[in-house]
Amino acid sequence: MAISTGKPIKRKMAPEDLIFTIFNTLFMVLFAVVTLYPVLNTLAYSFNDGSDAVRGGIHLLPRVFSLKSYKTVLHKEGILTGAKITVLRTIIGTLASLAANALLSFILSRKKFLFKSGLSLFWIITMYANGGLIPTMVLFRSLHLTGTFWVYVIPGLVSAFNVMVMRTYMAGIPDSLEESAQLEGAGYMTVFLRIISPLCKPVYATIALFVAVYHWNSWFDAMLYNRMNTQYTTLQYELMKLLDSVANQGQGGGGAASHTRESVATVVPITVRSAATIVTIAPIICLYPFLQRYFVTGLTIGGVKE
Amino acid sequence: MSLSSTSSRRKKKASNGVEFTAKEFKRQWILVVIAVLYVIYGVIFNYLPLAGWIMAFQNYKYKTGIFGSKFVGLDKFKFLFSDDKFLQVIRNTFCMGALILIFSTVMAIAFAILLNEIKNIMGKKLVQTISYLPHFLSWIVVCGIVSDTLSSTGIINELLTKFGILDKPFLFLGSKPAFWPIVVITNLWKETGWNAIIYLAAITSIDPALYESASIDGAGRFQKMWYVTLPSIRPTIMILLLMNIGNVLNAGFELQYILGNGLVQSVSRTIDIYVLDWAINGRNMDFSLGTAAGIFKTAVSLVLIVGGNMIAKKTGDERLF
Amino acid sequence: MKKKLFAVVMASMMAVSALAACTDKNGTDTTAGTAAAPDTTNAEGEAVYSQEAILDMKMFAAMAGTEINSGNKIQELIAEKTGVRLKETWLTGQQAGEAIGAIIASGELPDLIDGGDGSVTLWENDLLVAWDPYLDMYPNLKEMYTDEEWDKFRMEDGHIYWANVFGNHYKGIDTSTGHNGEAFWIQVRVLEDAGYPQVQTLDEYFELLDNYVEKYKTMPDGETPLIAYTALTDGWKYFCLENPPMFLDGYPNDGCCIVNVDDPANPVVVDYNTTDTAKKYFQKLNEEWKKGSINPDFATQSYDDYISMLSTGRVLGLCDQYWDFAYSLMGPFAQNLDSLDGGRLDELGCDYVPLGLTIEAGMENQWHSYGDELNQSSGVAVTTSCPDPNLAFKFLSDVLEQDVHDLRFWGIEGEDYLVGDDGLYYRTEEMRQLWKDDDYKANHICSYSYCPQWLGISRDGKNAMMPSEQTSEFYAGLAEPLAKCFQAYGAATYADMIGSPDCGQYPWYPLWSWSNNLSNDTDGGIAWQKMGEVKHEWLPKIVMSNNFESDWNSYLAAYAECKPEDFLAEAQAEVDARLATARENGYEG
Repeated sequence: MAISTGKPIKRKMAPEDLIFTIFNTLFMVLFAVVTLYPVLNTLAYSFNDGSDAVRGGIHLLPRVFSLKSYKTVLHKEGILTGAKITVLRTIIGTLASLAANALLSFILSRKKFLFKSGLSLFWIITMYANGGLIPTMVLFRSLHLTGTFWVYVIPGLVSAFNVMVMRTYMAGIPDSLEESAQLEGAGYMTVFLRIISPLCKPVYATIALFVAVYHWNSWFDAMLYNRMNTQYTTLQYELMKLLDSVANQGQGGGGAASHTRESVATVVPITVRSAATIVTIAPIICLYPFLQRYFVTGLTIGGVKE
Repeated sequence: MSLSSTSSRRKKKASNGVEFTAKEFKRQWILVVIAVLYVIYGVIFNYLPLAGWIMAFQNYKYKTGIFGSKFVGLDKFKFLFSDDKFLQVIRNTFCMGALILIFSTVMAIAFAILLNEIKNIMGKKLVQTISYLPHFLSWIVVCGIVSDTLSSTGIINELLTKFGILDKPFLFLGSKPAFWPIVVITNLWKETGWNAIIYLAAITSIDPALYESASIDGAGRFQKMWYVTLPSIRPTIMILLLMNIGNVLNAGFELQYILGNGLVQSVSRTIDIYVLDWAINGRNMDFSLGTAAGIFKTAVSLVLIVGGNMIAKKTGDERLF
Repeated sequence: MKKKLFAVVMASMMAVSALAACTDKNGTDTTAGTAAAPDTTNAEGEAVYSQEAILDMKMFAAMAGTEINSGNKIQELIAEKTGVRLKETWLTGQQAGEAIGAIIASGELPDLIDGGDGSVTLWENDLLVAWDPYLDMYPNLKEMYTDEEWDKFRMEDGHIYWANVFGNHYKGIDTSTGHNGEAFWIQVRVLEDAGYPQVQTLDEYFELLDNYVEKYKTMPDGETPLIAYTALTDGWKYFCLENPPMFLDGYPNDGCCIVNVDDPANPVVVDYNTTDTAKKYFQKLNEEWKKGSINPDFATQSYDDYISMLSTGRVLGLCDQYWDFAYSLMGPFAQNLDSLDGGRLDELGCDYVPLGLTIEAGMENQWHSYGDELNQSSGVAVTTSCPDPNLAFKFLSDVLEQDVHDLRFWGIEGEDYLVGDDGLYYRTEEMRQLWKDDDYKANHICSYSYCPQWLGISRDGKNAMMPSEQTSEFYAGLAEPLAKCFQAYGAATYADMIGSPDCGQYPWYPLWSWSNNLSNDTDGGIAWQKMGEVKHEWLPKIVMSNNFESDWNSYLAAYAECKPEDFLAEAQAEVDARLATARENGYEG
């Protein structure tokens, strides 16, 4: 802590510091409470009886305790296959994406790279321009990606957003490190793997988190490209199926649907929806501490800044 | 070697100007080869589908496809821009996008910096973990809580009437002036913790020696935040700002769609909602209209980021390209 | 570290390829195209298929629905009888049209499909198999509609590509006990408290509601305040607020306009949004709003908010279509509540009954429409990807066989229903509860709800095709206050409560099957879209207005700018066209 470094400073700053610490702590506690509430509320709903929950008014504790929503979620057919595929795509997709993004960021952060501006612009445009669903689907079909596992991994390998974030971080690393390595005869790839990457752990962890969360939450691509291939379904797609089936009962057309279904379900969405949300968040919470240490506690790398 | 690099560093500010010589090309051939691979990949997966933009100039029907559909020139664009409602939704999208951009950026940075000042590691980790959790809740769940809170019997109205600020409950969700602030605040609530992660990562790379020398110079905590932390993460802030400026017109579908209602539709509807209403209903799958709106959004995005990039160049900040 | 990483990647890759390999193996036999032959026949000479001979087929329905689990008991029984096991998938997070577009673009079609709003797109892309040759082969299918009705399904190329499976009564005998359509609904306790009066007009209706609130103020818990009336305005479900003027004038649910038949030979399309009746109706709502009788949040509530408010039993009256609210209330109303000392809301008289209100007393109403509403715009279809269309049609025919039909909707005899001495099927309370259970639905029940099915009386002449239409089942399911109310009004069914006369259907009815499919390729379609937007904004505003007259006039001005006349002209043309087609087929009128 900086405060303890010099006595005169300490004496001068103490009251202001104390007030700040108090207010800051209060603010953080308040912020935590406000952001924790929706999660606790969801948790309370997930443990409540479905029919009872429709009446609303549940806040922090369930009113009529029931595990039925979890049973519904976990007994859903395909949830196991979905979980397996989701875990696989999260692992493979995150590692592959991280590698692809890091390498591109490395190139773009080389100050001497000849096509720096052009290549940056080439990727930045991809962030804002897309051809829409149908042309993309036609493309994937002709590339024979439709109906495979790889459709989850290959098309999304490079994300311009992540590349720009990483590039900025890498650009902050002093050139002197690269230069001295090159003097010793190291090529660009060695610089990338041995010099830059070890220093980029915080940003790698951040991007890995972004990509992993993206893969973990993905369902739309599973529906588009593997709708009929149940072996490649994803966890979130199975959950979405469940949520939609209970949420949109009686969705007929227009102003006067005549929907004469025998078994219009009386299932209540909110508890099942909440249970599904909790099932989704839980693994992320478990995984989080492993990544968190990289960007909360900070690295003590001397001499990184110029 | 070291000579050339010092000279390039001197040129750095001018532009990224490295002289395009055969020698330089040969020296960084591996970078060029890898770059070419990335371009090939990008052309296939990101640029080929842009052929779909042709649809915006057609009356696209499934049956006839891109190659057989009738070309209608700029009719779809004319339809959009001759409709007052479309101009209205552009305004809504832009204003909400800009407000969200400004407030969420400021909040996320402030949160990251303040969190960094918490010295208790456990507490810091705990607050950080809690703060990013709402990101994983769907908008439906969040909006349910918002409409609960703001309803005529909700906590806000209860407090306001109890303290005599209002004599009868106010219909927040039916009020046009209240809609944008509600959207912005809901966004902040859900995403601040998540958005702060990038800044937290950037803060970790700050050399502790900088703080120490600042302390020796007599800087207080605020001064250190202002003169050390903020400038150190400035490149990250600028890059994110630049990229997000380009996304201003993409800021909003679900939240506005769920919270919106007939009473506030003139301020709540965004471009995406407009497209949904006009292009995707019933038998009427008007991909052409949706594509035209998409092209418009892309054009605006590019203008915004090119403009932003030019400003960044002038101020000597981190640029996108 | 690096080695570990490498190991993880390799392991995952191997797992994926292994997965792919084994599914390929399964894949081959699921798509095998040969029609399986039954292996044995049972005592009655019916075919029985062995597990190996059963073919798996896939069906996609562009509607929300719930998937059932594999190994579902009734599904397996049906598979043994028909040789086909159908895996159903449903719409998820998309509109029907979008989903169909995506399926076409992906090139992966199921064997059977109900394209919903996207049906025509499927046909346009030549992805459907024509029914015509198979209709003659399978009398069960042919029997679903008369030739004239089948003609309505014919596309421009003269062929039939799909059949709507809903709302079709066997031999045309209407046994419906419910009222699935729209009405002003009222809780039975309000009627009971007022001594079951005749209610004919809006004034009488709101007087009843207001008096009850005045008298009791809260629910029996003494805390929760009663609310006289609420209206839903969320999304397209704002019909609850906007279309009553059509019914109040005594017209049936054409949905988008009134078709005036003062001269039956020349029906005239009339806009119900601007009639005197409309003004009176909204003025009445405005009065009630000022009195504080209407839910203060009605204009901003979402559908979920609406349902949760209704579920508390606090709301005495509303206008809505039955399917839109009632199914969601059955669970909460049948629950024992602590706040009521363990009582149930339905036993308290919170169940709703429909009233056939009109703008003036003594008018005839058509809130309830008798007979089947034929919606020819979508239905079950066989795709060109199906390796054996004949088998698919045979399956669609087989599920209409009485024994399979009973399995689908009644379940297994002895397990899901019992047969009385009189030959009538019935369920015990326990069985009824089981059929509401999610796990049971997933593992036991298989109704193939988007495949052909019948309503009405089954082929034995006694039992209803569907349990919900079985009179005894209907009464057994009623709570006491509701049953008393029916008795007091001498009503046997919900429809009797409304008292609409059965005056047949005009050939253009229902016109909403046209307006639902309007596109903005035409001026009328654009006008229709704009009218909706204006009404969405103005109607709640008018109800909450402090100055009704001037706001009403502003609304009319904004409405006129949408050019409703373009829409009405196209509606008129559609009515004329439908009438002309009917006349060609021998319709007199």
